[in-house]
Amino acid sequence: MKRSYFGVIILCITLSMNIVFTQLLVHQYYHENYINVLIYMTCNIILFPVAIFVYKKEKNKGGANYEKK
Amino acid sequence: MTTNKNNSVPKKDDNYTHNINRNNERSLDRRGFMKTLAGAAGVFAVASLPWGALAAKELMGLADKEYPHQKITNVNDIAVGDSVEFHFPSEHDSAVLIRLEESKYVAYQNACTHLRCPVYWVKEQKEMVCPCHHGVFDVNTGAPTAGPPRRALPEIVVHVEDGAIFAVRVKRYEA
Repeated sequence: MKRSYFGVIILCITLSMNIVFTQLLVHQYYHENYINVLIYMTCNIILFPVAIFVYKKEKNKGGANYEKK
Repeated sequence: MTTNKNNSVPKKDDNYTHNINRNNERSLDRRGFMKTLAGAAGVFAVASLPWGALAAKELMGLADKEYPHQKITNVNDIAVGDSVEFHFPSEHDSAVLIRLEESKYVAYQNACTHLRCPVYWVKEQKEMVCPCHHGVFDVNTGAPTAGPPRRALPEIVVHVEDGAIFAVRVKRYEA
């Protein structure tokens, strides 16, 4: 069985972007740049469906039966 | 249902209160790890919603800050170089008024922008100092000059009238 770590890496990057955006969001909120807060919130929310999509796509990759399908 | 030798359920375990002996139940495989990561992304998405809601509220002007003027102290009661503590706009927002010169007053909300310890005016150093982690703020602008804080203290606009000092409003950060 050959494992595929592509999805794991993509999801790790997604999550680290989430952390960065959340940090920026909180800072921009206290700097009272409210437009930027909304932008970072949108980024954070968009990353969630992206993560779900990557998970759905990658969860069966590299399994023993994957090649036969 | 398969009933070969390895998959058959032993008679003594054949009830649903004891069917917890699944293989690898507690191990975290690649798929489970990816599921955790996707779930964490969902947590971040949900956690950023209240910040966005508050920001939208501010943008729509629902929280436009205009408070009733509050008397802090009389001009005669504060010497040049001294400070007075007060609370503005609510009783939970402690603030400090400093008389720098004869007719120059500055006031800041004195919760440190690092971890909200009270910031004090140190007359000898001519600086505002947070004792918790030695944060230092410039007294003329409220900007942090040393230590962990990165944001300026929120300035309060003051107004002198009839020998008394009034707090008018909290100044917004310059964007």
